[in-house]
Amino acid sequence: MSPLSPDAVHTVIDDLGALLLFTMILIVAAGQIYRAIYSVAAQSLLISIAAAVLATSTGNPDLWVIAGITLAVKAILLPWVLHRVVQRMNVRREVEPVIPIAATLALAVAIVVVSFQLSASLGPVRQAITGNALPVGIALTLTGVLVMATRKTALTQMVGLFASENGIFFTAMAVTQGMPLIIEIGVILDVILAALVMTIMVLRVRSTVDADIADLDRLRG
Amino acid sequence: MIGDRPLALVLVEMILLVLVGPLVTGTIQKMKARLQCRRGAAVLQPYRDLAKLFRKGTVQADTTSGFFWSIPILVLAATVAAGALVPVIRAGPPAFPLGDAVMLLGLLALARFLTAVGALDAGGAFGGMGASREMTIAPLVEPVLMMVVFSTAVAAGTTELGALAAHRGTSWFLAWRAADFLGFAAMLVLLPAETGRIPVDNPDTHLELTMLHEGMLLEHSGPGLGCMALASHTRQIVTLSLVSALFFPIGPAGGASGLVLGAGAFAVKILVLATFLALVESSYAKLRLFRVPQYLGVGFVCALTALALRIL
Repeated sequence: MSPLSPDAVHTVIDDLGALLLFTMILIVAAGQIYRAIYSVAAQSLLISIAAAVLATSTGNPDLWVIAGITLAVKAILLPWVLHRVVQRMNVRREVEPVIPIAATLALAVAIVVVSFQLSASLGPVRQAITGNALPVGIALTLTGVLVMATRKTALTQMVGLFASENGIFFTAMAVTQGMPLIIEIGVILDVILAALVMTIMVLRVRSTVDADIADLDRLRG
Repeated sequence: MIGDRPLALVLVEMILLVLVGPLVTGTIQKMKARLQCRRGAAVLQPYRDLAKLFRKGTVQADTTSGFFWSIPILVLAATVAAGALVPVIRAGPPAFPLGDAVMLLGLLALARFLTAVGALDAGGAFGGMGASREMTIAPLVEPVLMMVVFSTAVAAGTTELGALAAHRGTSWFLAWRAADFLGFAAMLVLLPAETGRIPVDNPDTHLELTMLHEGMLLEHSGPGLGCMALASHTRQIVTLSLVSALFFPIGPAGGASGLVLGAGAFAVKILVLATFLALVESSYAKLRLFRVPQYLGVGFVCALTALALRIL
């Protein structure tokens, strides 16, 4: 028997969802790359706490593994790598948005409202799922995509990718009470690989041609 | 309806807020000075400033209309009346008809409007600039404050602050739901804007590039300026007590011990929030005016998400 009552778990997951949304707002609003990186690290930390809470409530040992891996990889390792890259590249510390950050924030609000509406329209499926986890997860994922779409530099797009991935993770965890371990590990390996490839690409591209993603639109045949 | 807060208690709380207001400002200034490795003025300095101002004579510009002299009194009256609406040392509905949170925000907005009108009335360039800036910021702050209040009011089913605070009860942190975290985050973003502090406004300077609120006070002098200063001290403590009433209220407790406990808890809550303001003021630079909407946008999004979590 689990030590936590289902109601308490619902409440805690809801609260964590609210904090996740808050870190997401911070990522969208961050004017400097470092702040975005710290926010995404905090978000991953919250995800691993959520995994630990679900692990104690469901007694599923796989979730403990997930919590540990998330903490080590996404809350510590990847932010550290990003931080190093920013330091080594001597890039401008400001994020360079395609549209103004205020407009991005407005879009983020629209996304939050739409994802709540969408999951409310799911009806019976919605009833079966823990509290607000589904709309929060959808909102996180879409906002991560929004961040990827509205930033010019590769590093801030990576932050968006991590945030989006966090959203998928949160949804999967809260909806299924823990996916099979092999899938979760596969997803995490994917993210690490993507991060490594992108980091190396960014460093290489910058050191050889001194260009960034935004310059690629001039590359026409 | 039998309320928990009789008329006498409400009056005592209102007077307490007005009396303690300058002390909070003094404490924040002292903490800021210590953080900047200065000794700083004594905590009681705002009281001395006020006493000096009230002893002085009044000088008015020739261009002012007859309405000008009454502005400080009206502003102070509106702010003090707003102070009567927040529960301070005891939660629970009042024993007689009293306004609610919407009324409180309306009174604060009225005070702000009158201040701006006074600044424009004198016809000085700085006053007009300060007023126009204040009126640019105000429509960004007030709706968000409204939404934060509503996001907690939806749960309690009332906008009366005393009843709202009583609904939340004493175990405030454990009873926080998801929306409260976001609402509180929005409140923390708004707090410097509403109290006229860095990163939105700078209360310490009369430099024309940085000031909002101080610019509007330039044409006032003597007791009028004293009233305006007292009003802004009161406005600050009213805002802080609004935050504590919404997010960490102390429940209705009977007897003298309950009142003492409530007063002690109130002092601690205000001190914590004042420390937060001092820390923010010492660690951030003032934002450019055109960056302020983006900063307040964070509060807006947080408040809207809090409402979404409550309603949808």
